Amino acid sequence: MTHRTTSTFRRPVPVAVATGVLGLLALGICAAVAFTWIDDLPKQVAVHWGPEGADRFASPTSAILGPLALGAVLTLGFAVMTALVGQSSSTRRISGGLTVGMPVFMGVLTVSTIWAQQAVGEPSTSDISQLAMGAVGAGLLTGVLVAVALPGDEARPATAEVAADAPRLTLPDDTRAVWVQHAQGGPGLTVGLVAAASIIVLAILTDLWFMLLLALVLGLALVAMMAWVVRVDASGLHVRSVAGFPRTHVPADEVERAGVVEVAPMREFGGWGWRVGRGGRVGVVVRNGEGLLVERSGGRSIVVTVDDAATGAALLNTMSDRARGTR
Amino acid sequence: MLFTLNPGTDEALFEQLAAQVRRAAVRGELTPGDRLPSARDAAAALDVNVHTVLRAYQELRDEGVVDLRRGRGAVVVAVPPPSDPALDAAIADVVRASRRLGISGPTTVALLEEALR
Repeated sequence: MTHRTTSTFRRPVPVAVATGVLGLLALGICAAVAFTWIDDLPKQVAVHWGPEGADRFASPTSAILGPLALGAVLTLGFAVMTALVGQSSSTRRISGGLTVGMPVFMGVLTVSTIWAQQAVGEPSTSDISQLAMGAVGAGLLTGVLVAVALPGDEARPATAEVAADAPRLTLPDDTRAVWVQHAQGGPGLTVGLVAAASIIVLAILTDLWFMLLLALVLGLALVAMMAWVVRVDASGLHVRSVAGFPRTHVPADEVERAGVVEVAPMREFGGWGWRVGRGGRVGVVVRNGEGLLVERSGGRSIVVTVDDAATGAALLNTMSDRARGTR
Repeated sequence: MLFTLNPGTDEALFEQLAAQVRRAAVRGELTPGDRLPSARDAAAALDVNVHTVLRAYQELRDEGVVDLRRGRGAVVVAVPPPSDPALDAAIADVVRASRRLGISGPTTVALLEEALR
C-alpha cells in the first residue's frame, strides 16, 4: 500500500524529467546543425516575417540562439507543468507531448529558415509559409508520438471503501443500471466559433492560406471539446467526446467518492473543454453550474459539467460499492 | 437518463426500458430534444443485446415519444401531459382493489390493457 501511494505522487516527475531532457536535446541538435552554416550566412539574417515577407533582421548567432533559448524556457515550463499537475495520464500525455513537440517545432523552424538563407547567401525575403508548415508538422508529429508512447495509468484500486456519507442509489443487487447524459454547448462553443470565423477573415485579408487550415483544426477541436457523452455503469465512469476522442474511463474500483459540485470553468480551469485545474484535477467543463465530481485513487479527480449529476454520482457510488464487493 | 434492468422479473427487458422512458417523460425528467443513450452504449452497459434496446426505442417511436434518426439516435419529441392527481388517485384505487382481491400484477395490467383497447 505504501508503495502505491509513493508511486502515485512521484509518477509525474520521471515523465517531466525524461520529456524535458528530450526537448532540450532536440534544441541542442538544432543549434549544432544551424551553427555548421554560420560561415556561409550573410552578416544579417531575417528573423521575423510578416505578411509582406521578412521584416526584422539580426546577426546569425542571435538568430539561432534567440529562438532556441525561448524554446528552452518553454520546454522547462512544460516539464514543470507535467511534474505539478500530471497525476492523470491524460494530462501527462498532453504536457509531455508539448514538452518535446514545442522545442522540435521551434528548432526545426529555426534550422530551416537559417538553411534557406545560407543557400541564397543573403537575407531572405522569400515566403516562409512552407517552412512554417513543415515545422508545425514536425512539432505536431513528435508531440503526438511522445503522447502515445508515454505510459498510461496502471490499475490502482482504491484501498478504502467508498466514502460512507456519499450518496447511493437504492438498487437491488441483481439489478443492472446505466446512466447516460449528454453535455454540450456552453460559452466555449461561442468563443471558439467567433475565433474560427476571425481566423478565416484574417486568412483572407492576409492571403496566408495555411491559416485556413488552422480554422479547420480549431473547428474540429471545438466539436471534439464541447460535446460529450457521460456514462456511469458497472464498469465505472466513461467520459467520451462525441467525436470519439478524447475519452477517459475511471474504473469503479478506483472511485473513492462521487458527488455533485458547482463548477465555474473560467475561474477553476481558465476556460472550457477538456482542462486541467489545480492539483491536476481533470475538468471536462462546457458550462457553469452543476457538475459530477469523482475523486479517484492516487489523489486524482475529474469533474464533468452535466445535468442530473446527483443521479450519476449516486449510481457511481453504488457501482463502486459493488466493485469492492467482488474484489 | 437512468436505465435499470431487473432480469429476475417476468416483464420483458425491452418493455422495462420503454416503461422507464415513458415514466421519465411523464415526470418531466425528459423534455423534447433530450437524447436517449445510444443503443450500443446502453446495451453494452446493461449486458443485453443491442436489439433489445432498439426494440424499446422502436416501441417508443411507434408511440410518438421519440424520433429515431440514423446518427442522432433516439431524440425525445413529444412528452405526454404531466400526471394528473385524479388519474393518480384512480390508479391507486386499482392497485388497492387488485391487492385486496389477490389479483397478480401482470393480470391487473392485462385487465387495464383490455380496458384501454
